[in-house]
This record gives sequence, structure tokens and C-alpha cells, in this order.
Amino acid sequence: MVKTLLKKQFAEIFRSYFYDTKKNRARSKAGTIAYIVMFVLIMVVVLGGIFAMLAVSLCAPLAEAGAGWLYFALTGMIAIVLGVFGSVFNTYAGLFLAKDNDLLLSMPIPTNAIMLSRLMGVYLMGLMYSAVAIVPAVVVYLITVPFSIKALVGCLVLLLLISVFVLTLSCLLGWVVAKISLKLRNKSIVTVFIALVFIALYYFVYFKAMNLIRDLIANIAVYGPAIRERAYGVYLFGSVGVGEPIPMAVCTAAVAALFALMWYLLGRSFLTVATATDGSEKVTYTARREKQRSAASALLKKEFGRLTSSASYMLNCALSTLLIPALGVLMLVRGSVVVDVLRQTFGGAEGAVTVLFAAALCMSATMNDTTASSVSLEGRSIWIPQSLPVDPWQVLRAKLRVQLILTMPALLFCSVCGLVLLRPSVAEALALVVLPQVFALFFALLGLTLNLKRPSLQWTNELAPIKQSMPVGIALLGGMGLVTVFAVLYLLLAPSVGASAYLWGFTALMAIPSLALWLWLRRRGGKVFMEL
Amino acid sequence: MLRIEHLTKTFGEKVAVDDLSLHIAPGEIYGFIGHNGAGKTTTLRSAVGIQSFDSGEICICGTSIKADPLACKRQIAYIPDNPDLYEFMSGIKYLNFIADVFGVPADLRAARIADYAARFELTADLAQPITAYSHGMKQKLAIISAWLHDPKLILMDEPFVGLDPKAAFLLKGMMRELCDRGGAIFFSTHVLEVAEKLCDKVAIIKQGRLIRSGTMEEVKGDESLEEVFLELEAE
Repeated sequence: MVKTLLKKQFAEIFRSYFYDTKKNRARSKAGTIAYIVMFVLIMVVVLGGIFAMLAVSLCAPLAEAGAGWLYFALTGMIAIVLGVFGSVFNTYAGLFLAKDNDLLLSMPIPTNAIMLSRLMGVYLMGLMYSAVAIVPAVVVYLITVPFSIKALVGCLVLLLLISVFVLTLSCLLGWVVAKISLKLRNKSIVTVFIALVFIALYYFVYFKAMNLIRDLIANIAVYGPAIRERAYGVYLFGSVGVGEPIPMAVCTAAVAALFALMWYLLGRSFLTVATATDGSEKVTYTARREKQRSAASALLKKEFGRLTSSASYMLNCALSTLLIPALGVLMLVRGSVVVDVLRQTFGGAEGAVTVLFAAALCMSATMNDTTASSVSLEGRSIWIPQSLPVDPWQVLRAKLRVQLILTMPALLFCSVCGLVLLRPSVAEALALVVLPQVFALFFALLGLTLNLKRPSLQWTNELAPIKQSMPVGIALLGGMGLVTVFAVLYLLLAPSVGASAYLWGFTALMAIPSLALWLWLRRRGGKVFMEL
Repeated sequence: MLRIEHLTKTFGEKVAVDDLSLHIAPGEIYGFIGHNGAGKTTTLRSAVGIQSFDSGEICICGTSIKADPLACKRQIAYIPDNPDLYEFMSGIKYLNFIADVFGVPADLRAARIADYAARFELTADLAQPITAYSHGMKQKLAIISAWLHDPKLILMDEPFVGLDPKAAFLLKGMMRELCDRGGAIFFSTHVLEVAEKLCDKVAIIKQGRLIRSGTMEEVKGDESLEEVFLELEAE
């Protein structure tokens, strides 16, 4: 039974790797392998690389000082935070909001089996996020210190404990979110607010942590014994990684007990929470005169309604609406320090700071990618826009406008903040305003085109199109990759190409595919949408 | 009102609808009967312009659905077999969305919403999110949204599924009202007793081909519709 449920769960999570929804048939083996290889490369090379660099800077000094336990305590805690942060809201949606909960619960399947299959999905998600941080740490450690079976066993046990602990913590927090959500009316807004607090906290701790780590390495002889004395749990946890048997036994028992507690709590309330109807007070309708809108305005309102109804959609696809203005404000408040550092670093490359600022703006724009899942999110309701007397292009344009409205004004504000700080030449200033706008347009068009080409309408959990779909992955990583190439290429070409020419050249380069995508969407997009 | 001429639609090797022709005149309630997978939904979806077809022609009020789909869609309303509505909206927001798209003036829509919601006893629930609705409530909302812009032709796929007896009775009355005003209804159903009592004309489809159509008397003669249907299915 569990095997069948797991198969179903994994089939949904990894569906896009094996199944071509457009052609309505399984992908070829080569296609599947290519997608998987691409995913692994991104996770291992890009994200793993970042944490590998952190591990390299920490490992040798701490291991040489005999504080391997502190190395694993630090990297382990980073992995836990990353794992829990990355999967807590998925946990809530995946465990309690799955559309097939009612169907599965109506069948002769033990509730525990359903829970277990759902938990495996959560486990995989947490494992993925935490492994990005802890696996490089383990690899760096095993390379740095002389090889021993003890260290290898310790590292493997640590990996296992972290993944189970992340699962436990995610589930407990997801359960709390579910309990609170039952009583809330504006769930999505509250969830977004809580998530933003988490994010702010995360970055605050992250920036503080970098200073703390530097201080720790410099004064390891003082801090090591102090931590061991005052936070013995941290010492025990870190000691698992270096293969100490007693800490391994203690931590394994502690994690197992916590997991058992979580399983008990979840088991007691899963049925109630998963099948609960809205517990918030019922709103009684009172008739009032509604303003008549145009079809275009109604479609736009509908798209914004879809966005604001889902915390997952807002957090995953529209977060930059707040982050971009925050970046602008940060530029005004603390930007001069950053600019000075950048000018010293890239002193040889004239205009590098301007180009890097443009790149930062474009990079932040890639975090708003509502269009990449907007078609898929129509789901089984797609018959509505298809059967209404509106040009399909109007439907697509509404989806496009949402992303542009969320991104373009924010980018403009941030550009102006940058101009105040950088005081570039007129040509560069104009480019700093125009380039992010053109890039935002290109990115929105790209996302919409990709989603039209690779829609996923038969989902049971909205996270599938929002987080786990191919269009979102390609748009996000493709956009980030493009911006990275844009920035790096300038640093290579800087002596021979001026910043202004480079910025305008890239603007033109973005404008051409934007025009092509626009024309395709206008001429062919509507037909493709109607045939979904 | 609705002319379907030689409609053919294939899915890969499978012929879903094969050279089907139907004419529905103003004032007619036209029933569409067939076993599961016979091609009823494909025909209905093709007629409302959300399913492309290989050959043939479909005209609504004299306009080809292929040549001018928007003009056709302005004249019609469609209710699918499963009322998958926008669950993130409340009932009233959904109705206002539909009214906006069809350009129903504010006063008129308010009056119609009040009238139809009261008939289906849905008024108090209109502020609730659709996700909190039962299947029957969603079906009622889909019916209200279909009637909201006073269409000339309504196409429905299994409209009685999920409705309570009172709502089903109401719907039948509303169908007749619309046809008495010169409109037309084309709907599929498996409830043959309803079709027999309600429909002016009926068509029976089997494996994509129309095997019998005409007025109720022409189709069933002295037998019941159920008997005729089962005989034709057995052939």
C-alpha cells in the first residue's frame, strides 16, 4: 500500500521529468536523462558550490584547532535552517492541502500510510535543501582531514540525523501553520507576512553569522571551550560529524524521540486538519451594487485574485515586488559602503559598478515569475477562459500584465535610487532605467511562452506548477544565468567596451527576443492556449 | 440557432465524433443521449469553441464558430460536466467576473443575481469562497453564471448531476422559460426520464455517429425512450 502511495506521490513530484504534458505522452529516455542531469548540475554545481566555498573557509582552521565538532555544528545548523526554511510551507500545503486527501481518505487506506507517503515528499524536499549545504561540508571535511572510518561513519550519521530532524521540524511547524490557518480568514496574506518575517530573520542571522564565523575562527581557542561548556547540546550535535560514538547515540535517540512525538501529534490530528472545512466565521452575503468593469479589467482582477489567494504563489513568484524596493532603500541608506568596496575591487573596469547595479536589478527581477506558472494554475478551470467571449490574447495579456505591474514600478523606483547613489552619465542613467524595464518585459514574456509550451493542468497540489514545473525552473535559472553572463562578460570586456555602450547593447539584445516572443504570443499563443 | 454539419473529430486513431449533423431551432430543448465515451462531450465542447475539430462546420445564429468564435460565444453559455470554477473566488466575485466579461450592466446583473440566487437558495452563501461550496452549490453557481447574460443558446453537459430535487425542478423550469423566450437549450444527459419529459427533440449518439434524431415522438414512437435507447445500443 505504502509503495503504491509513494509511487503516486513521486509520480506527481517528478512528473515533468518523465511526462510531456503538451504531447500527452512519456518523454524519451534521453529527454528524461537530460532534464535530470540539468537539475543535478544546478543543485550540485551552482548551489553546492556556494556552500562548498563556505565549507573550505571554515574547515581547515577549525579542524586544525581540534574543533571539528564546531565545524559540523555550524554547517549542520546552516543545513537545518535552510532545510526547514525551504520546506515548511511546502509541508503545510503538501500534507494538509493536497487535493486528493479526500479521495485517499475515502479508500481503505490506513491514515498512517497516507501520512507516510506525504512525509516522504516532505522528506525529499527537506533533504534537497539541507543536502545543498551539508553534503559539500561533509565532502570538504573528508578531503581536509586524514581519512578514517570513524569520520566517514560520523558524517553519514550526521547526514541522516539532519535530514530526519529537518523533516520533524518542518512537520511540526507545518502542523502549527495548519492549526492557525483553520481559524484565519485572510490565510494567504497572513502566511506571506509570517514568511516575510522568516526571510527578514534569515537574512539578519545570515549577515550576523558571517561576522560571527569570522570572529569565531580568529578566536577559536576562547570560543570553543565556552560553547562546549554553555551549549553542550551544540557540542554533542557537532561531535556526531567527527564520529564520536556517545554523541552519535545521544543525538540519534533525541532525533528519534522528536520524530516519534511529531508522528504522534500528526497522527492524532491529520484526519481532522486534512478534512476540516474552513473554520473561520462564515461571511453572510449582503447585496451591493458592483461597478461594471471591462473584460480586460475583469481578467486582470481575476489574475490578481489568483495571486493573492495563494501564499505559495506570492512567496515563490512575486517576492521581488517587495524585495526590489527594499533593495532601493538599502542602496540609499547603505549603498555608498557597497559602492566603495566595488570600486576598489573592480577599479580597473570603468563603469563596472553601474553594470553590476544593472545586473543586480535584473537578477532581482528574475524572482518575480508569475507568468511561468500562470497558465498551469488555470488547472481544470481552463474551460472558463476558453469558453468566454474574450480573445485568448486578452487572457494571456492579463497574465503578462500582473508580472509587469508587480515588477516594473518597483524596478523603476530602484533604478532612481541607484541613480541618486551612483550619479552616472546621462547615457548610463537612461540605460539604468530602460534596461531593467526591457529585461522585466523579456522575462515575463519568456515565462508565459514557456508555460504555454509546457503547461501542467492536471495537478492536485498547486505547488507542482508553482515550484516543481519545468517552465518555472527554466525561466528562473535561465534568467539568473543570463544576468550572470551579462555581468561577467562586462568584467572581461571592460577595457575595450564602455559601460554605456555595453548596457545599451544588452538592452537591444533583450529587446529583440522580447519582440519575437511578443509576436509569437500574439499570433500563435492564443491558438495554443485554446488547444490546451 | 445551432447548426452542426458533418462534424468529425479524431483523437489520434480514435474517431470521437464521426460526420455528425444536428440542427437546433429557437424554442427547442434538445437532448443529447449516448453511453460514456460516445462523443457527447466532444460535440458540446466543439460547439462552444473550446475543442478544435477536424472537419465540418458549426454555426451559432448563422455565424461560424471557426470564423468568428467571439461573436458566437457572446450568444451562448456553457456548463461543463464538472463545475470546476475559480475556487479562489467567492460566489459573488465569480458571478461579477462573468458579468463583466459579458458586459452585463451593473443594475441588470444585480437584479439577475438576486433573482437566480434566491431561486436556488444560494444568496446567503454568495460571499463564501467557492472552495467551501458543495458539488451541488457549485453546479447551482455555474447555472446562475450561465443565465446571467441572458444567452440565446445554452449548452450543458449533464446539468442535473449533483442538484437536489428542488434545484433540478427549478432548472427544468428555467430551461423552458428560456426557450419560451426564443432561446434554445442543447444538453447531454443520462437521465432518460428527464429527457423524455423535458425535451422537444432528442439525438442518440453511438461511437461518435448519430444513430437517431428528431422529435421525441419520432425517436421513441410508442415505446419509452429508455427502451429505444437500449435497443439501439444493443444493435
